[in-house]
Amino acid sequence: MKRNKGMIILFLAPAVLIFSAIFLYPIVRTVIMSFFRIDGITDPVSKWQFTGLSNFTKLAGTSLFRISMWNLLRIWLIGGIIVMSLALLFAVIITSGIRFKSFFRAVIYLPNIVSAVALATMWLQYVYSPKFGLLKTVFTNLGLTSLAKVQWLDNDHKFAALLLAYCFGMVGYHMLIFASGIERISSDYFEAATLDGANKFNQFRYITVPLLKGVFKTNITMWSVTSVGFFVWSQLFSTVTADTQTITPMVYMYMQIFGAGNSITERNSGLGAAIGVLLSICVVAIFWLCNHLLKDDDLEF
Amino acid sequence: MKKKGLALFLASAMAFSLTACGGGGGQTAETTAAPAAPAETTTAAPAGDTSQAAAEAPAGDGGSLVYWSMWEATEPQGQAIQAAVDKFTADTGISVDLQFKGRTGIREGLQPALDAGTNIDLFDEDIDRVNTTWGQYLMDLEELAKAADYEATANAGLMAACREVGGGTLKSIPYQPNVFAFFYNQAIFDEVGITSVPATWAELDAACAKIKEAGYTPITCDDAYITCMFGYHMSRLVGEPKTEEIVKGGQWDDPSVTATAEAYADFAAKGYFSETIASNVWPAGQNQELAMGTAAMYLNGSWLPNEVKDMAGDDFVWGCFSYPAVDGGTDGVDAANYGAQVLAINKDSQNAENAFKLICYITQGEFDKMLSELSIGIPADSNNTEWPALIACVKPVMDSMKTRYPWAAGAEANADMTPIIKENFLKLCGGSIDAQGFVDALKKAGN
Repeated sequence: MKRNKGMIILFLAPAVLIFSAIFLYPIVRTVIMSFFRIDGITDPVSKWQFTGLSNFTKLAGTSLFRISMWNLLRIWLIGGIIVMSLALLFAVIITSGIRFKSFFRAVIYLPNIVSAVALATMWLQYVYSPKFGLLKTVFTNLGLTSLAKVQWLDNDHKFAALLLAYCFGMVGYHMLIFASGIERISSDYFEAATLDGANKFNQFRYITVPLLKGVFKTNITMWSVTSVGFFVWSQLFSTVTADTQTITPMVYMYMQIFGAGNSITERNSGLGAAIGVLLSICVVAIFWLCNHLLKDDDLEF
Repeated sequence: MKKKGLALFLASAMAFSLTACGGGGGQTAETTAAPAAPAETTTAAPAGDTSQAAAEAPAGDGGSLVYWSMWEATEPQGQAIQAAVDKFTADTGISVDLQFKGRTGIREGLQPALDAGTNIDLFDEDIDRVNTTWGQYLMDLEELAKAADYEATANAGLMAACREVGGGTLKSIPYQPNVFAFFYNQAIFDEVGITSVPATWAELDAACAKIKEAGYTPITCDDAYITCMFGYHMSRLVGEPKTEEIVKGGQWDDPSVTATAEAYADFAAKGYFSETIASNVWPAGQNQELAMGTAAMYLNGSWLPNEVKDMAGDDFVWGCFSYPAVDGGTDGVDAANYGAQVLAINKDSQNAENAFKLICYITQGEFDKMLSELSIGIPADSNNTEWPALIACVKPVMDSMKTRYPWAAGAEANADMTPIIKENFLKLCGGSIDAQGFVDALKKAGN
């Protein structure tokens, strides 16, 4: 036993050390930083000023941060419902034995391999353009003049415009995960159900969905993690200065750490760290909820 | 026994591989300045041989310089700087490890790199960021400038601006100057018979009325610059320091806020703004309206003609005038955000004299001219009297400047309020809220 213990320690030590240095140390440091006022992110500890919980109370009292959290919630919830629904629908269609399956799968996944910058430019400068945009042209041709006049990028519509553009790019990714989950389910179950007289919808409701619980969990967790890190699309939809309809906590964090826009604004990396802590708590809470609400260990197939 | 031997062998192999990885990391850290340099420098270099020498040279020793730039290698500014560096190396034999970091790269990476002790001799960025955010890392350049008689050909106003933001002493050298003002389409002004540029708000009103009458959009803007209009009007009324105080302190009850909102609400009601101003996401307004000739004016920096030159075409004649004075206001047309990108030397640099020599190469004579021509920018060297034709109209405005505003004339001094000002000013210009609605929205947001 003694000899084995030594071996265990010897083999585990490098992994534990690397994990501690790369994951544990930054996490602990970030949590500690959140209780200090720190100008520059790499300021020495001697320059840090302890402020207790004031970073957290300041965030709670700042309307812009509350707006950013509200935007994040909307992206996660509304975007999540749209993306998961479409991804599941497409996954079911793709795996139902249709012709040109690979072609359709590739087309739906295609936006994932195009740069976000190119995609956002297409949406902003072409699709939503109130002068010659795709939406304007389509609605004009359909005779829907009031819809053709809508300015999709004004304050009232900018969030919806952003969400639509973002979801467009995300469906394919989650569809692939669902599709791989569906393909894992043996066709025997569906054949048996067909023989028993179950229609396609009932097969989906009583076989596919229950057996996809684990995949749902994966997809929701992945979606939550990417939503919490929502940054690039927000930046692309509001260059230079942030926008109330597109700002997310990550953008707010960036403003606090590196300064906002072209102006020289007050910086506080401690506040940025506090945002990081809050976002981590959100992800852990969602992960915990998923694990409790979607138990998939009761099924084996 | 066999098993034990195998286990020991595997453990040793793993330990060695880890050590090897660690060694590699150490080496990278030692030459931190250079990881991406060879590829970037070579790509940018018009004359490959000298940049190759720069890439191979050890960073930061006595015979070489490390220079972090805010530009990309492919940008006109990057190309001119690369050419200046190549000439400097050819003339002096001093190799330069020139790294184009891009705007985000230098903004995020410079301070951590300096804090980590990375050997960087000189760097460049905006005048305010260099002197304010990175002020603690700067070397005082007074002596070096004096020894090189630098100010004999430097722009006196910009040198004064550098001293002002440097806390009374020279810590940075300006290049690629710029000024923020109204840029307009001269053809539209000529067509509607506007013979002199508006110097007051009433004159701007009259000019807009004529332009509107002729079927053009008098003023357009994009979301990225809309807060500048708010800031400039406020600063014309009460001065920039007071504007900043109002924005930072949330003093939205100040009469100047209502007066500014009313002036813009009036213009919106008269139809002076683009119909799509509330939804113009940069660069829609400048590209699709101003450059296309449907809108006449746009409040922006002197970089604008360069940004839209491919869309505007060769026949587009630019005009420029400073933001007009307002009735009863404290500031006149001689105040604006004017400044430059600046070069600064790390206070810990062991090669300050050579670094300053390189700064002279970039900011004076041949390469200042090249930078001005390639980027259609303002020359920094007063001997380079010929400005690119596209921005010749900026010269009288630049020469008239006496008071320097920071970016957006203080409107963006409070990061927590900028998006809220932006949202509501866009709505105000778009006509969906009135002046009182604007003030109420700012008050409601607090901070």
